[in-house]
Amino acid sequence: MLDDKEVRRLLLRTAAMDEGSAEAFERLYRTCAPLLLGVAQRVVGRRELAEEVLHDGFGAIWRTAGSFDPVAGQPVAWMVAIVRNRAIDVRSSHDVSRVDSYHDALEDDPDGALDRLFDWSQDAGDNEDRRRASKWLRDCLGKLKAVERQALVLAYEHGLSHGDLAAHLRKPLGTVKTWVRRGMVNLRECVEACMVGPR
Amino acid sequence: MRIGNGTKLDALCGEYMLGTLRGAARRRFERALHEEPRVALQLRYWQALFAPRYSKMIELQPSPQGWKRLERELRLARYRAPWHSRAGFWRAWAAAATAMLALGVGFQLLRPAPEVAPLLEIAQLTGKVDVSRVTAKLSRDGRTLELRAARAVLAGPAQSYELWLLPAEGGAPVSLAVLGSLDARFALPPGQVGRLRTGAKLAVSVEPAGGSPTGAPTGAVILVGEITA
Repeated sequence: MLDDKEVRRLLLRTAAMDEGSAEAFERLYRTCAPLLLGVAQRVVGRRELAEEVLHDGFGAIWRTAGSFDPVAGQPVAWMVAIVRNRAIDVRSSHDVSRVDSYHDALEDDPDGALDRLFDWSQDAGDNEDRRRASKWLRDCLGKLKAVERQALVLAYEHGLSHGDLAAHLRKPLGTVKTWVRRGMVNLRECVEACMVGPR
Repeated sequence: MRIGNGTKLDALCGEYMLGTLRGAARRRFERALHEEPRVALQLRYWQALFAPRYSKMIELQPSPQGWKRLERELRLARYRAPWHSRAGFWRAWAAAATAMLALGVGFQLLRPAPEVAPLLEIAQLTGKVDVSRVTAKLSRDGRTLELRAARAVLAGPAQSYELWLLPAEGGAPVSLAVLGSLDARFALPPGQVGRLRTGAKLAVSVEPAGGSPTGAPTGAVILVGEITA
């Protein structure tokens, strides 16, 4: 499990851009590259493309480390967002057609993916806010309609567009768009209700 | 540019975060993200809300060339700490120096020792931190003192060790020798022969190269031991 505190420290050291920043950045790479490569691979599906995404992603992390907000941001999530965005761009510009392979994985166990892909365990190293946010997200994903949950998890994990989702789920584009939109609205409302409501 | 308000903006942020916002719409959103703080703020809200931790199961080992390529293309060498300020360098240096000292000591042991009167152990000098233990031996005629360190201890280029006698009857420490190494054999100053008696102590301090400038210990006393013979 990646230690957010250590990753945050390495990011800030990298952002200093002075003597010793390269060492911090190298440690950051050694610590986080395997996870980020896994994230990229899920989206682009081809190893050589995933390695390219990882390379570009770390280039962006090096250049933009100074814009990471250590107070507001989760450092691993911040890097995941950079790599996922890059992977989605690469996926859009390459003809990455992997609909069949999704289909097999999906038919097996649509909800199991959620727990295989993510680690919902309550890590003692997390602060209280992070622990609660993780619990609310898992609970609220569980409360969504199955089709909405499936659409959101597939889109997030594999970086699928509406078109990809429609092809994959064999549903009209409009239907899939509605699932995604409603899923996001419902998810947000549920998490917000958790925030204000009694726990 | 404006990309909508309220519900519309919120939906765009959600779909950008999720990844379903594509093509020209995605580019437009990214431009707005850089130009309009409210867009960045709204996106941050979504990212905080939807930040699941990926499982370790998805990890893949990057190719070994990956880091080298990054290091080259980002020209990271400019941001490396200079070699002399790196902890790793000094650790390696210390290990190498210790190994060379051990070799040196080994060769010295192989050399035939000069014929001298037999030596008797008179004291064990120890420090607060057990970095080393030094055995002091005195020749039967009381004129030659020998120090043997359990581990090689060598003074730095700007330092010397100074051996002091703390007389049994009290009084100021008396300098016996200025040394570069705690493995040494030397003749005692004629005035001190016969004063290394039970109850007196031997002590080693770290001094500037060449020994204490004042005639009394000025640096840290690293080893001390009572004479028992």
